[in-house]
Amino acid sequence: MGLSAAAAGDGTQLCVFDLRRGQQEGQELDKILFFHPADCPILLQLSVIGLCEGIVTFTRIFSPEEDCEVIESEKRSHVFYQAEPDIWMVLVVEKTKDNESNWRCGALQGILKEAHSLFTMFHGPIRTLLDRQPSAELARGHLRTFLTDYLSDFHVGKKIQFPTYRDSLKERGTIQMLTVPREVALEVQSLTTVLGSCLGNVTCQSLILFEDLLVSTTLPPDDTLNLYTYAVLRLTPRALSSNASSWSYLRKGTSVSAGPTSSSSNGTTAGERYHSRSRDTSPDGQNQMHHNFRPLLREKLSKGKDGFVAADFAATEVRGAVPLTPIIWFQQAEERMYLCIYQHKSLTILLLIPASSLINGEEGIAHVKKQMLENASQKIVTVEQKLTRGWGGENAYHVSGYRYLLVDPDRRVSRASPPGKVTTLAKDSLLALNRLRQEVDLEKSRYRRSDPSHDKDFEVCIRTKNNAWVIAKITRGRELYMALEKGGETLLYASTAVEKFSNRYCEGAFSTD
Amino acid sequence: MDPPPNPNPNPTDAEPQAEAGARLAALSLRGGRDLPPDFEIHEHHLDDDDDDDEGYLTAASRGGSSTCAWKGLRDDDRDGDDVSPPSPSSSGYAGERGSSLDDDPDPEPAQDWPRDKKHLDEDDASSSWRKRKKHFFILSNSGKPIYSRYGDEHKLAGFSATLQAIISFVENSGDHIKFVRSGKHQIVFLVKGPIYLVCISCTEESYEGLRGQLELMYGQLLLILTKSVNRCFEKNPKFDMAPLLGGTDAVFLSLIHAFSWNPATFLHAYTCLPLAQSTRQAASAVLQDIADSGVLFALLMCEHKVISLVGAQKATLHPDDILLLANFILSSESFRTSESFSPICLPRYNPMAFLYAYVHFFDEHTYVTLLTTRSDAFYDLKDSRTRIQNVLLKSNVLTEVQRSLHESALHVEDLPIDPSSQSASQPQSSRDMSSQSLSSEMAIGGPAGLWHFIYKSVYLDQYVSSEFPSSISNRKQQKRLYKAYQKFYASMHDKATGPHKTQFRRDEDYVLFCWITQDFELYAAFNPLADKSQAIKMCNRVCQWVRDLENEIFVYGGSALSWQYHHCWEGE
Repeated sequence: MGLSAAAAGDGTQLCVFDLRRGQQEGQELDKILFFHPADCPILLQLSVIGLCEGIVTFTRIFSPEEDCEVIESEKRSHVFYQAEPDIWMVLVVEKTKDNESNWRCGALQGILKEAHSLFTMFHGPIRTLLDRQPSAELARGHLRTFLTDYLSDFHVGKKIQFPTYRDSLKERGTIQMLTVPREVALEVQSLTTVLGSCLGNVTCQSLILFEDLLVSTTLPPDDTLNLYTYAVLRLTPRALSSNASSWSYLRKGTSVSAGPTSSSSNGTTAGERYHSRSRDTSPDGQNQMHHNFRPLLREKLSKGKDGFVAADFAATEVRGAVPLTPIIWFQQAEERMYLCIYQHKSLTILLLIPASSLINGEEGIAHVKKQMLENASQKIVTVEQKLTRGWGGENAYHVSGYRYLLVDPDRRVSRASPPGKVTTLAKDSLLALNRLRQEVDLEKSRYRRSDPSHDKDFEVCIRTKNNAWVIAKITRGRELYMALEKGGETLLYASTAVEKFSNRYCEGAFSTD
Repeated sequence: MDPPPNPNPNPTDAEPQAEAGARLAALSLRGGRDLPPDFEIHEHHLDDDDDDDEGYLTAASRGGSSTCAWKGLRDDDRDGDDVSPPSPSSSGYAGERGSSLDDDPDPEPAQDWPRDKKHLDEDDASSSWRKRKKHFFILSNSGKPIYSRYGDEHKLAGFSATLQAIISFVENSGDHIKFVRSGKHQIVFLVKGPIYLVCISCTEESYEGLRGQLELMYGQLLLILTKSVNRCFEKNPKFDMAPLLGGTDAVFLSLIHAFSWNPATFLHAYTCLPLAQSTRQAASAVLQDIADSGVLFALLMCEHKVISLVGAQKATLHPDDILLLANFILSSESFRTSESFSPICLPRYNPMAFLYAYVHFFDEHTYVTLLTTRSDAFYDLKDSRTRIQNVLLKSNVLTEVQRSLHESALHVEDLPIDPSSQSASQPQSSRDMSSQSLSSEMAIGGPAGLWHFIYKSVYLDQYVSSEFPSSISNRKQQKRLYKAYQKFYASMHDKATGPHKTQFRRDEDYVLFCWITQDFELYAAFNPLADKSQAIKMCNRVCQWVRDLENEIFVYGGSALSWQYHHCWEGE
């Protein structure tokens, strides 16, 4: 039994399975925690997972310590991510003949990592859910709604479109920062202090975003990244407006009447079908209400008159907690916190109140909100004004003549040419850059294996057949990727261009001297 | 389908008798077991030049010891089922491997490596087996093991079945599995009709590189058996092919070894022995004479390097065929010890049919190969060889070849400072003068930190590479550089985006520079601290240097050999 009989559609599959489950013959179905598309025949689902499990087991013969990353075949790629011990996420993407499906394994793996990180932030680790309820109903329910909502972001029409070579100057899993002049930085600092003291004796954490860019954070890097990712997906002014527009677009644009999420390839209905099946096998379906907590559901989020973004989540993780304010779990900070979202024009403030310090739920949150408005309103207005005044618009970080991506993996920060500018690059340049990034990914993991503590410097400069320069440079752990189309013919020209860029925009981080 | 050539060098079998042929055919190629003891002591043969001087004189008198063996086999489309499998002790030529086969670094270096390369005691349950850096497997589509680089094929039947299951699972869905990556391990698959080839490697080579190696493994298999072996699988899906390859372990081991030292394995080009133009012309002229008298191809080679090669009209020889043919001849001890007449298939020329190769070693390194379609041409070719030999001796070609072997290599230290002023006919003589590097702090190697280069002429399908400098003196360093080149080559020739025009790459080990034009490809390695602009200057200088020397380092149109790629066995 093979794989090609995939359900109609784009051939994309996403599955989550637990290798500790269903190890008895006849119980294989129990391994499956999530499968997209949900209407994929069970036998096909089992076949996909059978191959994945087989390969995971097989590769462990030779590299017991390392995870299987990819199965590459002529027609598809299976990209693996072991999200938690023995819990695997596998993304299956189909190739097209026109090179359009030329992607980077690392970029696809990034999607799986991101999905899992966000899931964990809202629902906790999958293993915890499975331990809490061994029938897996709870875990399946959460995964079903969450991943279906998450995948809806990749829908283009009826198809799922994952990042391709055209996105080779983007880096998922990083934060884009706003560069702030010193005097504004002081204002922001002062605002952060005020926000921190909203609860009185216990310090609140906060993230401040301007447009889709991070201005400040008091959380550790991983938690910042997760929350930032969520904010850019759903909470910033742009995200909120697209929540609305995608809603109306769907209303108008598709004949599906089952509501907004049905855009996610019959997400809800198919999801329900899956759900009812899993309920059949495990009658102990108690925590139904939890399944309704859908933090990624766009239309549940809207900005209220008081400036706070209201989340119409049906329930939160903790029983009896207030419906309007989600509690999220921060892995790195090892703390559960309430999330309050306040928006003033382009400024989005994410205020995080430690759940342990807030005993009287909704009332307490209302109090904190009030405190925040009283103490910080003026500062918020000032900061917003100053940032807006200095803001260069969506092309603020465009550097003429360059198409670039800068990544600082340690700080999880990146900066890139605006997408509108990247699209001006020729297909050949982007394909070459994508290919180069794949090579660099392999080199990076090779370096990590050989000596994780030591950053290895690396530089590649390629003159492509369409006479562009594609460049990758890693210096002291920081990465620079670049495509130059209108440039001189010599390697020295390209080197000089990198040098200039480095000196001017990266404080010389990539300069030779 | 024919069995592989028999290496039986026993002089007592010298009479070409059809009966003997049939008998030998039944034995298939059992390898070392049939060798008389004196042929098994070859540990030092490469160092012992004197032996071979005599070797070629006496070999002539042994005439045709193998001829008969193949006469009877050619059209004998046996199933091969009746061929008894080789016993573990007949595992090929392991016992007679030269010490030159120093291959992959093992997890536990030294030990009994490289002599007992096969490690017959191992199987997939042994941790030592699992830790081997690079496995090669050939199996049938029913999961029967055909070849494994390490371990006893018979003990690997279960493992082989697993590989088959993986491949078939994906094949059954109308797809073809290419590779699996897991950390530093890569599993690369190649399906060729009923034959599956798999490489499991943690050598960090590129997918394209490993796949190319599997293609060559398959080519080597075809060289021994031709593609008509597929018919056996049509008749009997459970057909056990391993016995047909019995005794050819050394051929595959030698090829696998070549993957880590011979640039021809990824460049798809061959290299020539540097010789004065007049010397090469003398050799070419006599080969041309022979070719005109009904020989399809005539090759004069020194080890893996071509001295001269001519082909009959319109016949073209692919560089990969030269590589596989040379590998087959050089790794089969019997060719060295007696003149031989063997059926071989040139997979790029015609994967379906056998040609007949007359092989004779003039000395330890230098040998002539005459290829014909006629199975009864042994005596004609023997006469031709005598003619060739006379000319070569008279015009001192063999002496010149010996001299060149030891002296004529290109050394980066000899790179002329001013290319236009150097006639460079004798590169070694200028070494002292020109070794003043541009940057004295990189004194090791050539000027400006140049360590090594490979230059490929696109039109000629030939390449030339420099000797390794003292900074890359040991095998491990050389192998690492070689693998870096391989990766670099794959990066430049990416299917979707390549070939690129230039590439500069700097990591902790090297600065690598590549330059591809319509006429040539240059790959150069520098000290990792090398200055970019100086490196570019050096590359220009290398190109000029090679052009100055081209009459000596390349073979030029000896005949109408218009090199074209055949894709006979690519479009399955």
